[in-house]
Amino acid sequence: MKITRRELLISAGSLLAYSQLGSLANAEVNIAAQPGDQEMIASMCKALYPHDRFPMSIYMDVAAGAIKKGNADTGAKISFRAGLDGLKINKFDKMNFKKQTKYLKSIENTPFFGLVRGHTVVALYDHKEVHKIFGYQGASFDKGGYKDGEYNDLSWLPEPRIEEHPDLTAFLDDSSPKKYASLKIKKTF
Amino acid sequence: MKIDKKEKAVVVIGSGPGGAQVAYQLTKQGIPVVLLEAGRRIMKEEYVNEEWPAFSQMAWLDKRTMSGNARIVKDFNGLPTWLVKAVGGTATHWAGATPRFLDYEWKTKSTYGSVDGATLMDWPIDGKEMKPYYVKAEDAIGSTHRGGRPPLPANNNYKVFAEGAKRNGYKFYATGPYGTNAAPYDGRPASIQDGFNFQGDKNGSKWNPNVSEIPKALATGKLELRTNSQAVQITTDSSGKADGVLYMDTKTKALHRQEAKVICVAGNSIETPRLFLMSASSRFPNGLANSSDQVGRNYMRHLTGSVYATFDKPVNFFRGETMAGFLADEVKHNPKRGFVGGYYLETLALGPSFLGAFLDPGKWGKKFADMMDGYQNMAGMWIVGEDMPQANNRITLGSAKDAFGLPAPNVHFDDHPNDTAMRNHAYEKGEAIYKAVGATQTYRVTPYPHTHNLGSMRMSAKAKDGVVDKWGRCHDVKNLFVSDGSVMTTGAACNPTLTITALAIRQGEYLADQLKKGNV
Ligand SMILES: Cc1cc2nc3c(=O)[nH]c(=O)nc-3n(C[C@H](O)[C@H](O)[C@H](O)COP(=O)(O)OP(=O)(O)OC[C@H]3O[C@@H](n4cnc5c(N)ncnc54)[C@H](O)[C@@H]3O)c2cc1C
Repeated sequence: MKITRRELLISAGSLLAYSQLGSLANAEVNIAAQPGDQEMIASMCKALYPHDRFPMSIYMDVAAGAIKKGNADTGAKISFRAGLDGLKINKFDKMNFKKQTKYLKSIENTPFFGLVRGHTVVALYDHKEVHKIFGYQGASFDKGGYKDGEYNDLSWLPEPRIEEHPDLTAFLDDSSPKKYASLKIKKTF
Repeated sequence: MKIDKKEKAVVVIGSGPGGAQVAYQLTKQGIPVVLLEAGRRIMKEEYVNEEWPAFSQMAWLDKRTMSGNARIVKDFNGLPTWLVKAVGGTATHWAGATPRFLDYEWKTKSTYGSVDGATLMDWPIDGKEMKPYYVKAEDAIGSTHRGGRPPLPANNNYKVFAEGAKRNGYKFYATGPYGTNAAPYDGRPASIQDGFNFQGDKNGSKWNPNVSEIPKALATGKLELRTNSQAVQITTDSSGKADGVLYMDTKTKALHRQEAKVICVAGNSIETPRLFLMSASSRFPNGLANSSDQVGRNYMRHLTGSVYATFDKPVNFFRGETMAGFLADEVKHNPKRGFVGGYYLETLALGPSFLGAFLDPGKWGKKFADMMDGYQNMAGMWIVGEDMPQANNRITLGSAKDAFGLPAPNVHFDDHPNDTAMRNHAYEKGEAIYKAVGATQTYRVTPYPHTHNLGSMRMSAKAKDGVVDKWGRCHDVKNLFVSDGSVMTTGAACNPTLTITALAIRQGEYLADQLKKGNV
């Protein structure tokens, strides 16, 4: 299968993105350095992963990271500049959500989109404040772990059995090759 | 213990469950071993309880490329696998599920018959022969629900899973067997339900070689553990026997050579065949021990996939042990379902950081965001089933180079129609489990980067059909062994590490005996 540049960017943008944070070269011309640029990118981040519960400041943080990546090398710079220009010309931040989604679909194959989306999905859901809003408590080791009454506090379902069913051993042991070879039924795939 | 590089030593390559276990079995019997590990030793105090930082702390991130029709090829092209480069190997990350092979899973060719496009083959060993080694492996790991060891308690994710399973008429659910202590065992404490089992487990309740076989082997005084030492070539003498290992200090890039009388390779299913292919010579032009052309072929990754669901009430599935929920009802071969082989369902919780990256790679928009927004009310499970071995699912040396100038491995992976049929069946059953307890939204999740890496150095009775014999010894090179999951002829439905451990114990005992008798 041929891997397109976009696909490469998407994979690089998501998983490998993390390890690339912080390894950015010194840039001479900076992209997205105008007043309002970060807000514009933030509105794109929000349209990509819309959460009413998240304050705009979280998307601003994410946008700052995307802009940093957009300045990482010359290739990123020229595509980022073009992409940002498109957002500005079309007044992306003033569109309603439906129009924004439509616009994003139309640029989905651009490296700019790949960079911003790939960065956003990692940086947004790794954001400490997002974790708080989601109710994710994270590390508990220093507190001695999650306590009895915390890790098992779900009370809207009955207490389940935790031991194995008494018939399990017999079920698993009944697996002779001879017996199972006799189950010859036509496969459907 | 310090072993001279000029001394013809027993050399083990890789310190994961396979390599560490063989090294322990040998040193326990007084046989000195040099253990080469490409990564460093990370002690539990250093583990980080955050998903991405922990990932970058230990993941194998050296360059790899991918090809094939599986979705993973597009989603995570630079990262086909989720493997660890550190002492203890990928078991630093592992969750701990320890089911066994079923008897017919050692004999899939005779049981399932021929499946188009699949290279099914019977193992040269069977369930009866492996039974005592499974008991030893469960005792080594400390599997719950086995050997009188108690089960882990139910966490929230399990409560949803178990009740949903029950309402679907399933019987064979439980919180294990798992390789994390529910009660103190083997000098390690009971779980404190602190989550972050994947990130190494700071509490040391989870078995992995770094807290078990490695310290035990070091205590015999017979082990020299060389970290940051990556094997790059195995050399042979004029008679065709392996006689040394060239390895690189990953920090300084200096190349060293260890003389060897026996070599056991356990670098996992990509690095092991890569090393054999990089060891091609005029005597072994297609790669070491590759007269059958089977080195690198029949690479498997298990079926895998996940189902997540949200509910209208909180679950908080991230609290407590990461897995610890297990369902065996769908494991039996039943071709009426439209595929051969079977699968397990196992509970799984991810933090928002990983979930964002894995829930639906490449996706964006409101539906995705809504699913993430339900995080607190979310439950999750993982599917693990038998995938079909295929000759062209294969590790080769690609044209790309890694940072050391070595040929980067290419991983080719096509889904077999049997894999797809089984995955769809499992998705449906997983969703039914959650719907039975009131799921408001369910989500079918594509395979993550491969955590179970199998095959690629398959075990066979005949030399022409595989790479190693029933002891894991290369058909072509008699003092060269393979000690990891790459020897798997077929992968069965179960998570692999218990079987890797059982095979390594068996191989270690055999090799110790052969060494004492002077047969190698
Ligand atoms: C998130 C996650 C969850 C998992 N959960 C489960 C589970 O619940 N149950 C289960 O059974 N399995 C599970 N697994 C899989 C399990 O971790 C592996 O099956 C197991 O670790 C394989 O053991 P191994 O010894 O073959 O290889 P590894 O553990 O991968 O060890 C290989 C070692 O060799 C080293 N190495 C590689 N090449 C070289 C070289 N050239 N020179 C020197 N050293 C080298 C590597 O650095 C590594 O340390 C999980 C894996 C992951 C990632």
